[in-house]
Order: sequence, then structure tokens, then C-alpha cells
Amino acid sequence: MSAARVAALMLAVLSCLAVGLSAGAVAIPLSSVWAGLWHPGAEGSAIVRDLRAPRVILAFLVGGSLGICGAALQAMIRNPLAEPYLLGLSSGAGLGAVIAIATRAGGAWAVPVAAFIGAMSAVALVYRLSLVSGRRLDPHVLLLSGVVVGAFAGALMSAVMVLSDAPGVRNAFLWLLGGFGAASWRALGVFSVYACVPIALLVLHARSLDLIALGDEPAHHLGVEVDRVRRLVYVCTALLTAASVASCGIIGFVGLVVPHAVRIIFRPLHRSLLPTVFLVGGCFLVLADVVSRTAVRPLELPVGIVTALIGVPLFALLLRRTLA
Amino acid sequence: MIFIGRPFAALRAGFPLLCLLVLAACQRTSRAEGRIVVIDDAGDTVRLAAPARRIVSLIPATTELLFGIGAGPVVVGRTSYCDYPPAAKKVPDLGDGIKPNIEAIVASQPDLVILYNSGQNAGVAGRLRELGIAAARVNTDALSSVTRVAHMLGTLTGHERAADSLATVFDTALASATLPAGPSRPKVLLLVWEQPPMTIGRGSFLNELLERAGGDNLFADVVETDGVVSIEAVAARKPDLIFTTAEGPSAFASRPEWQVVEAVREKRFLQVNGSQFNRPSPRAPFAIRELRAKMSRGRW
Repeated sequence: MSAARVAALMLAVLSCLAVGLSAGAVAIPLSSVWAGLWHPGAEGSAIVRDLRAPRVILAFLVGGSLGICGAALQAMIRNPLAEPYLLGLSSGAGLGAVIAIATRAGGAWAVPVAAFIGAMSAVALVYRLSLVSGRRLDPHVLLLSGVVVGAFAGALMSAVMVLSDAPGVRNAFLWLLGGFGAASWRALGVFSVYACVPIALLVLHARSLDLIALGDEPAHHLGVEVDRVRRLVYVCTALLTAASVASCGIIGFVGLVVPHAVRIIFRPLHRSLLPTVFLVGGCFLVLADVVSRTAVRPLELPVGIVTALIGVPLFALLLRRTLA
Repeated sequence: MIFIGRPFAALRAGFPLLCLLVLAACQRTSRAEGRIVVIDDAGDTVRLAAPARRIVSLIPATTELLFGIGAGPVVVGRTSYCDYPPAAKKVPDLGDGIKPNIEAIVASQPDLVILYNSGQNAGVAGRLRELGIAAARVNTDALSSVTRVAHMLGTLTGHERAADSLATVFDTALASATLPAGPSRPKVLLLVWEQPPMTIGRGSFLNELLERAGGDNLFADVVETDGVVSIEAVAARKPDLIFTTAEGPSAFASRPEWQVVEAVREKRFLQVNGSQFNRPSPRAPFAIRELRAKMSRGRW
């Protein structure tokens, strides 16, 4: 990728972060945002430092992680429809969250932790179902197991929601639709420490992914341990997605469309695709979160709705222009 | 002078009221030749040959009102949430009332079913009428619905006089519980759910209770009955107190992101408990007094 493109991307990232910091339920001008960031006593400082800064950075990291997961899965399964939630993960997380609310599990972290456990259980089940003939992970079986486990967890979740008499269990779907309202420095810290290992592993295996995208046979001949890479990619994307669900609910569409959009615009190899997707996905989610905070002030729209409402028309336009 | 003047004054004062009453009676209810006809809140005509003798009440507020006007013994079915008065709990439970089970309703052989006026219940009411069971759909979302629905239920059950006196007592109690507008009203965040943070807007029953108790809803500009808000918006509006219910949020106070809100840091909470806060009922004046007492104890 040319230096000009890298510079343009960096500029876009910085502008998105600036917009994210200055827009919100309360409009704070950029000059005050700057003062508020560095001087704790300044007007609006508490909002900028303690609420918006962690929220914007978390949205960026989650958007980037979902983008990378989508790109890696699309290459690994060789299916353009692959996305982080395809493999039963979202329904597993939803089931965990709904059970936590229905059983009135106490504590501030009960719902996110339960969502994480639910997601990881679904992942483990899908993984076990997909291991055919020893330790080979078959992409087709993986896809089908994901759909099957997802449907089962989804049905269980609906059953719990219908049968539970816990107050607020119907509000569970609002949590599942996603939002960064609960972002804090602590949540951001947990997410970043946790996410850096899978992200690094995925980026390190970008070249293998490029080769696997050509087909198992050629990749094997070119020296890629296809089965090992596939297992690794699966585990990394699952861990990343489960963490993002736990911190902000299910935010669809970013992982599906950002990789495609980046491929259409930049046509890069995975080595530069993954970092580019990370940056673009991050920017996209930061901007979507800005819309979710400002569109119906003082109320908030779930960000999962916004990503689809903005992303779908944009992507449709892009698709038509490339095909034309 | 006395004899001539008084009846005239009384007539002059009473005539418009009488006209209104007659008009209201013509519009909403008429009772002739043993037939009872009521227009319910969905605009449907509810007809009964005689006062209802077996009633399924699928709204906690109407169950409470039926017991309040002395029609408790004719209630043969209720929702799982009908917990007041205690005698109501002895009535068979027919489910949550949100998606009524028609078989369970029919099995309790009612001559009248009271349903909440929701789109979903339109089909249920139609189905019940096809089966020859009268169904009335009512709105129970505001304090004003207490007396209105009491009168309606009074007509349907033949307890008009008890309904009238309940309404009179309620209006008096409500007026005396309501705090007159004063200068220092605390701004109160009505927090009903925490993940995501949800509040109550101005079109709701809780908002009415709060305003009558002398508080201002922090999100009175929200027209919807409830909605998701950001902690940022809460922090910027600087609430004096945070209202929660026992069934509602509990852990938010210990979460780091909430510490931006001064009222959370200083633990200025207003926690209430009990069903008088989740439905418009004859107990609303007591709920208002409870809120008033708790707010005057607050350090805002």
C-alpha cells in the first residue's frame, strides 16, 4: 500500500476519534474536548475523560476486532458470507445473557460474563462437532455446525425469554442489540489486554490466510500447515468475538461488510488487508456509535441497528459501482 | 330570600355538572331493561344482560379496582402479577396476561373478561365475543384511569355506588397528597433498568407520581413511556436523586462508568418497593406520600 494511502487512513482514524470525542448527548466543542482531556478541572472534563474517551477507544477496538475476525474467517472458510457471528457465537452469547437476567444473577459483571461463557460454550460445541477424521477442521462441517448450534441456542434463548417471569427479561434484547453505554477505563483495559494476543496471532498468519484463500491443496504445497492454521484462526476469532460481545452486545454487519468493502476499494493481500480492515472497521464503529448517541438525543439507539442502517446502503452502492 | 336564593344557586351551579353527567352517561353507558352497555377504551360496545357474575381480570390494576369496589368475590381469574389485595392471590392464576390463553379463560366460564387495550388483545377480544363471552379492553396507564375505569367496572358489575364513593375518596386523597408547586424541586432520574440504562418519560404513571410528590423527572423531555439513555446525558443533567425499584437496577452504583454522576458518588438513591409504584391504583396517594417522605429525607 502506498505511503499516501497509509497517511490518508491515519488521518481518517484521527478525525473519527475526534468526532467521537466531541459528539454525544451533550455537544462539547473540540477546543473544550482538548482542554477536558488534559485538565481534570475543565468544564465537561468528567464526561470527556471518564465516559467518552474509553467509549470511543473501545468502539474502535471492537470495530477493528470484528473486522479482522470477518476477514480471517472469510479467507479461512473461503465463503464470502462468513462473519464473526456465523458460527453460533451470537446465539450462545445471547443465551448466556438472558439466563443471567432470568436467574436474577447479581453483580455488575454478571450479564457480560454470562454472555462470554455462553459464547465460548457455543464455540467449543461447534469446534467439537466440526473436528472430522481426527484433528482436521472441515470448513463445510464448521459452517453447518455453527448454524445448527446457533439455531439451538437461539431456540433455548427464546424459550427462557417467554417462560421467565423475571422483570426486565424482555429488555435483554436491548442489551443484545449492542451499545457502548457501559464503556469504562476498566472495561477497556480488560478488553485490550485480552484482545492483543488473538489480534497479533491473526496478523502473523496473514500470509498463510492468503494462501489458504487459494485452496487447501496449493496452500499445502506452498508450505502452509493448513489444519493447524485453520484451528488457530478459528480459536482466535472466537475468543475475539466473544470478548466483544461481552463488552458491548452483538454488533452485526461490521465483520461481514468491512472486509469486503476494503477488498473492493484497496484490493490488498491479507498482509495489508488485516491492518487496513482493523482501522476501517474501528472508524466505522466509532462513527456508528456517534450516530447512536446523537440521532435521538437524549435517548440512544442500539448501535447494532445503526451499523446495519448505515452500512447496508453504503455497501449496496459500493457493490453496484464495482459490478457496473 | 334564603329559600328562593339557595335552590336557584344550587341549580345554577349544578346544572352544567348535571348536563355533563347525563352526557357522559349517554356516551359511555346506558342501563335500560336489565341490559348493560358500555363503550370500552378500544371503542367497542360491551353488552351484558345482567351485572357480571364471573369476571376474568387480566390486568393487575383492574383486579385491584374490582376488589376495591366490592366485586372481588366475582373475580374468577387473574394474572400472575395480580398481588393486591392479598385476597386476590386466592383467585386462580391464568398467566401473565400479556398473551392470554383463550382456553384457560373459557375454562373458567366467565361472563366478562377484562383485557389490557393492546393491539395483541384485539384478536383475543374478538375471539371471546365469537364464543359469547363479553370482553372489555381498557387503558390503565395514567392516574386518571383509576376513577374512569372504576366507574366502568362499577357499571359492568352493578357496583356503581361503591365505584362512585371509591372515586370520590381517591380524588380527595390524591388532591391532599399532591404537593403544591414549590421553588425547590429535586431533579430525579427514574432508572428502571441498567443494562442498558433505561428511564421513564413524561407520558407515564411514574412520572405523574413523581411530579405530584414534588419532584421533576430528569428526562421529562422524553415523550415515549421509556427509553435507553446514556450515562453521559444523565451526568450532564446532574440529577439530585436517583429513583430505583426493588425489581430494577441494583448493581449500577458500583460500576466505574456511573461514578461520573455526582448523585451516584454521593449515594443519593431513592429506592421504593411495592406494586403501588408499578400500576395506577387506589393506593397511588399513599405512593405519592411515600415518595414525598423519602425525598424530604434526601440530602439534595
